Amino acid sequence: MPADPGLVERAWSLADLAFYGLAALSVGCGLYAALSRNIVRSVFSLLGTFLGVAGLYACLAADFVAVVQLLVYVGGILVLMLFAVMLTSRIEVASRSNRYPGLPSTALGLLLGAGAAVMLVALALLAPWAPAEAPLPYAPTTVELGRILLTRGLLPFELLGLVLLAVVIGAVVIARREEGGR
Amino acid sequence: MGALASYLRAIGRTVLSVGDGLAVTFSYLLRAPVTLQYPDRMRVPVIELLPERSRGMLEVDLDLCTGCAACDRACPIDCIALEVVKHAERGRLIQRFDIDLGKCMFCGLCTEACPTGAIRHSHEFEGGTGDVRALVVPFVDAPRQPAKAKQEPPPAPKPLGSILRARMPGPWDRPRPPARPEGGEHAG
Amino acid sequence: MESLVQHLSARWSLGPWGQELLAAAAILLVAALVFVVALTYAGIITWVERRVAGRTQSRVGPNRVGPFGFLQWLADGAKMILKEDVIPAQADGPMFRLAPYACMLGVFTAFVSVPFGQLLIAADLNVGILFLLAITSLVVVGVLMAGWASNNKWSLLGGVRSAAQIVSYELPAGLAVLVVVLGAGSLSMQDIVRAQGGAPWNWFVFRDPFCLVAFFLYFTAAVAEGNRTPFDLPEAESELVAGYNTEYSGIRFGGFFLGEFANIYLLSAIATSLFLGGWQVPGVSPAEQAGSVWLQLLGFAIFFAKAWALVFVVVWLRWTLPRLRVDQLMGLCYRYLIPLAFACLLGTSLLLLAVVPGSALDLGLRLGTTGLGALGGALFAWRVAHHIRRAGDRVSLDVLQRGARGAFDPAWQTRRYGAFRKAARGQEER
Repeated sequence: MPADPGLVERAWSLADLAFYGLAALSVGCGLYAALSRNIVRSVFSLLGTFLGVAGLYACLAADFVAVVQLLVYVGGILVLMLFAVMLTSRIEVASRSNRYPGLPSTALGLLLGAGAAVMLVALALLAPWAPAEAPLPYAPTTVELGRILLTRGLLPFELLGLVLLAVVIGAVVIARREEGGR
Repeated sequence: MGALASYLRAIGRTVLSVGDGLAVTFSYLLRAPVTLQYPDRMRVPVIELLPERSRGMLEVDLDLCTGCAACDRACPIDCIALEVVKHAERGRLIQRFDIDLGKCMFCGLCTEACPTGAIRHSHEFEGGTGDVRALVVPFVDAPRQPAKAKQEPPPAPKPLGSILRARMPGPWDRPRPPARPEGGEHAG
Repeated sequence: MESLVQHLSARWSLGPWGQELLAAAAILLVAALVFVVALTYAGIITWVERRVAGRTQSRVGPNRVGPFGFLQWLADGAKMILKEDVIPAQADGPMFRLAPYACMLGVFTAFVSVPFGQLLIAADLNVGILFLLAITSLVVVGVLMAGWASNNKWSLLGGVRSAAQIVSYELPAGLAVLVVVLGAGSLSMQDIVRAQGGAPWNWFVFRDPFCLVAFFLYFTAAVAEGNRTPFDLPEAESELVAGYNTEYSGIRFGGFFLGEFANIYLLSAIATSLFLGGWQVPGVSPAEQAGSVWLQLLGFAIFFAKAWALVFVVVWLRWTLPRLRVDQLMGLCYRYLIPLAFACLLGTSLLLLAVVPGSALDLGLRLGTTGLGALGGALFAWRVAHHIRRAGDRVSLDVLQRGARGAFDPAWQTRRYGAFRKAARGQEER
């Protein structure tokens, strides 16, 4: 970032403030989700994480991604997780739902987490970010996204559609009641 | 094909029935409300709209009462307290005739038992009060002689409710709200 | 707004920090304005609801506070604020307190990208309609939070029902919106409005028969998402006491309540923008409209009228239809609305390929669909007349005969009641 001379003269702007606020929201809520002993609260605190990440996308002028983040994660995945958690019996008993898994598992988890973090930081530092010569105009990203999805990314797009179709059919088969059955 | 036809028929029926239901409720929106805004928006007091034989609060015309206590015996819940005493000089005297309107269930048995029509239902019904004891209405102030069963000439009938009004504090004593402008719906 | 901020900061010769603060203040001001408008609308809808409910049931409805009882909602609001805010001992306190805010956030944030007029929109997002669909899903989280935190079986059942319902009905609503997006070629609310015209046959609802169906699909799904009768299972008072807000009282209950009523206006406003031409004035192009203050106001008034007409329909639906059963609710969504929505999407796509915009065929299709809609309206009017006739002497069309004021004349009511008594007496004698 310091390579960009335009940003140096003003150390802090409202955009920075928004960025750090949203980052703190995401990280804080994520930490709470990981450390809380009440699993329902953990799931609810993920709401803050998702909102924070959506806000970060919005700060990056990725409007479509931000909104889809909201739509999919808050409207879909979070609700699904809540359903799973709430419909489990005796979920509020922490010793059952949120047991300490033992030292080896904890160590393994920490190791994996640290590995992922190192990898991400290394990627961020090593990636050849090409700074734009001029600030990009605030333009809709949807058109370009759609074009890429239906040209270069068509195969993965269609494959994902196939996978989802298989999932839907599978769900229907599992949920179906046999004729004459219970 | 049958399945598809019934599927489409279900859709059609749903749309038509919902539409017709909406038409019914919309037709109600065009009608006048039947609500009477009792008590403060009635141009005519409700009491004047009551059926002739409606049973309101009891009242006793002591000019007719013979002190026979038939009403007291007929009352299933003892809301009538009637005391008749023998006086050395003046003979029989009605000393007390209280009706507890808080207890009364407006069954009308007392009026049927009364031989002279002294006890009767008025049309008054607005007996709201802050004190339940105020509902015990005394009809005798001082011991008085009972009326004869046959009087010649019969005493003039008193207007319905006038006896009760004189003896019980009620909404008729309160100042009436000022009349509202014609057709005005909102409060002043 | 940006230009205004730049203009002001140049005039007051503000430094970069001052500029930022000015921008922030402007944003906060607009946000507060939107919030107040949404709250006011929500309050007024409660009044509309009670008046319509009253007249539907041959009652008067609230008529004491202000003219026609119009200020009733202010009195109710004051009552709610002054009431005690009870938090059950066994409830999950922080979550219990947070839940109404999540609900309100979901609804009131959405007002930001509702185009009240051509220039009256807080933020014309490039993905406006998607944002509206996404941000309202916060309501689900709030409802679930309330249901869980109350520690009450009715609340939990209500919350889970509500979540299942909203998640299910988002599908047909989204698909119906997609039909419009296909036609407009944009996700921005203003672009969608601009793609339509002022005259009814230029609205998206009458563009082709599929769009007409999509409008009803969207409307039904949106009403269901708003937890309104006939889809009010999450609060079904005959089954679940009050559903997810059983344990709530005071202004926290008011938060849910206002959110719900603001949602009615929201769904009506979205339907107006997507299907009914939004702020477009008939016979005036958007460019012309942008140049004139009066046309702007006229556009706002047109939007206002259309949106409130839809609000009335939502309220009217509530007092007409009984509540659905849970299995009927899900059956309606998955067996009827979603297949129909897919059919509409497919049909509109094919028509988009087949019909050249602006061609005679296009115009014919539009006029034909408009005629279809007019036919439906005529049929409806005939049914209303039929029901009025059917009711015979029980009906007095005094609103039409005596004017609206006469309908509320207590003296006349009393006379009418007297006449009724007399007639009844006459019948007895015979």
